[in-house]
Amino acid sequence: MSTVNLAGPSGLRKFKDKLALVLVCAAFALAVIPLVTLLYTVIKNGAKRFDMEFFTHSMNAIGGRDAGGGAYHAIIGTIEQVGLASVISIPIGVLTAIYLVEYGGGGRLARVVTFFVDVMTGVPSIVSGLFVFAFWIALLGFEYMGFAGSLALSVLMLPTVVRAAEEMLKLVPNDLREASYALGVPRWRTICFVVLPTAFTGIITGVMLAVARVMGETAPLLMTVFVTTAINNDPFKGPQMSLPLFVWDQAQLPQQVAIDRAWAGALTLILFVMLLNLAARLIARLRKPVSR
Amino acid sequence: MINSTRLAALGGVALAGALALTACGTDNNGSKGASGGGTAASGDCVKTAVNAAGSTAQANAISEWTKGYQQNCAGANLNYNANGSGAGIQAFTQGQVAFAGSDSALKPEEHGPADQRCKDGKALDLPMVIGPIAVVYNLKGVDGLQLSPTTLASIFAGKIKTWDDAAIKKDNPQAKLPSTPIKTVHRADDSGTTDNFTKFLTDTAPDIWKFPGGKKWTAPGGQGATKSDGVSTVVKQTDGAISYTEMSYATNGKLQTAKIGNGANQFVEPSPETASQGAAGAQIVGTGNDLSLKVDYKTKQGYPIILFTYEIACEKGLPDQQAKFVKSYLTYTSSQQGQSVLSGLGYAPLPDSILTKVQAAVKGLS
Repeated sequence: MSTVNLAGPSGLRKFKDKLALVLVCAAFALAVIPLVTLLYTVIKNGAKRFDMEFFTHSMNAIGGRDAGGGAYHAIIGTIEQVGLASVISIPIGVLTAIYLVEYGGGGRLARVVTFFVDVMTGVPSIVSGLFVFAFWIALLGFEYMGFAGSLALSVLMLPTVVRAAEEMLKLVPNDLREASYALGVPRWRTICFVVLPTAFTGIITGVMLAVARVMGETAPLLMTVFVTTAINNDPFKGPQMSLPLFVWDQAQLPQQVAIDRAWAGALTLILFVMLLNLAARLIARLRKPVSR
Repeated sequence: MINSTRLAALGGVALAGALALTACGTDNNGSKGASGGGTAASGDCVKTAVNAAGSTAQANAISEWTKGYQQNCAGANLNYNANGSGAGIQAFTQGQVAFAGSDSALKPEEHGPADQRCKDGKALDLPMVIGPIAVVYNLKGVDGLQLSPTTLASIFAGKIKTWDDAAIKKDNPQAKLPSTPIKTVHRADDSGTTDNFTKFLTDTAPDIWKFPGGKKWTAPGGQGATKSDGVSTVVKQTDGAISYTEMSYATNGKLQTAKIGNGANQFVEPSPETASQGAAGAQIVGTGNDLSLKVDYKTKQGYPIILFTYEIACEKGLPDQQAKFVKSYLTYTSSQQGQSVLSGLGYAPLPDSILTKVQAAVKGLS
């Protein structure tokens, strides 16, 4: 009769366990290093100009070697351009996702739409800028303006929104839909009052992440919104600035004061994206689906 | 439904915050460090905003000029997009900007489309700023290195490989040269700086420098770096490195700059004054009011490696407001006062012989 050893695992197994633990921790540390160094560098360099003047002044009448000036015009530009891009692409994106999940049902049109959304996800950001430049500015003859930038950003944002919303709608259990139909509720009401509220949290999170993603885009704005040093509150008239462009513009200048401004701009941009992510989490927490 | 009210409140707070933000910013940056000051634009002031694009080399000059112009003309603004000479000319030709900044005059094949953009007028090359190109290096203990054009060409052609080579010793009888290998650095992207630097080598050392010119670096060997700040960073970090860059990047990066031999075999340090002297020998090759220049790289006085940056503007044919602004703005930049702010920024003012012609050409704009 064999005896069972209950004294604990053997030395070799303990060693294997520890080794795996060490490896996992090391991998985690490796993954965190770039993030931490990035944050550290940006905060260290950006803190120098992270002051009130930076947030309340534009770059108007700041000469080549002058210190001072700020990114107010760029912040306004980014908020307006990204806001308009969201207004364009969120409704279209969510409605497309509803069609794909609720009505498309794997039909030919649905498959074609899914295919093109996939293709659009892979479109490099500079191409969307080129497209809007060629179509909106060169062909239709509009001037450079913030809205042109919004169009380019919405091209980038749309596929991300469709994808996120589609995945969330797919997660809604079919039982809920069937229960609603069984009570005699028409399809559109089922979608509006059963499916969408259930998927709401997920959709909001996905949308926020899409917004955060386009906020840092430089390439599509390079050829659509031009640059300016003065405040322009009207996205439909004249050139605007945006935060990524501000960083790009200032970082290539030779003098240190400009480079400091670029770092402060980068820090502001990171904070914006972080705030959006936090807001997404907050909304997700406030609005938990009713537990069953 | 408590949740939706909370959400609505959150949205409301965000909206109110955004609205509050729209109200509190200002364009008024005071008049700190007013380097020009005074009354330059001589009364004419066109209160409009105009777009221009082009050369990065003159971006700092433009921002200083715009500041000076605004001191006499509050409410006017020039939006200058420093996206490179080529992109600037293209935007000008397509009619998206009122004028372009460029490191080189319009080429024959660019002239036709540019003239067409100006409808009933011609497109003019107006030289406005001189940028000295500094030869920068990193060699501990050897300051004020002297290089003749032939030696410089041999270095960049890869014929001289160490810093204690006989040719360099001949140029620097006093210096103690180490046997460090020479590492040449050049611009990896298309650049007007490369174009002008290689033109200098072709002109002054044709036996050694036989590579085709242009904005691309065509010689074999050496290390590439992107943009002027990339070049100065690499030189700063590499022992034994040598490269070329606009002077403002050299001064800002505190790099060692070489004295270059001119046509009279004097070794001259780059500075606003020496560059202006070197520019005086330039020949005008354009016709009429088109002032494209041919630099005299074998100049007998002053610093020989210089770069003219031009404003490319329409003689006639712009929409009324734009034309008025461009004329009044360029009148300011070509005035004595507009030119006087340049030296503080690492540029050199135009020599008087050329400046008077530019002023006359600007007067002819309409």
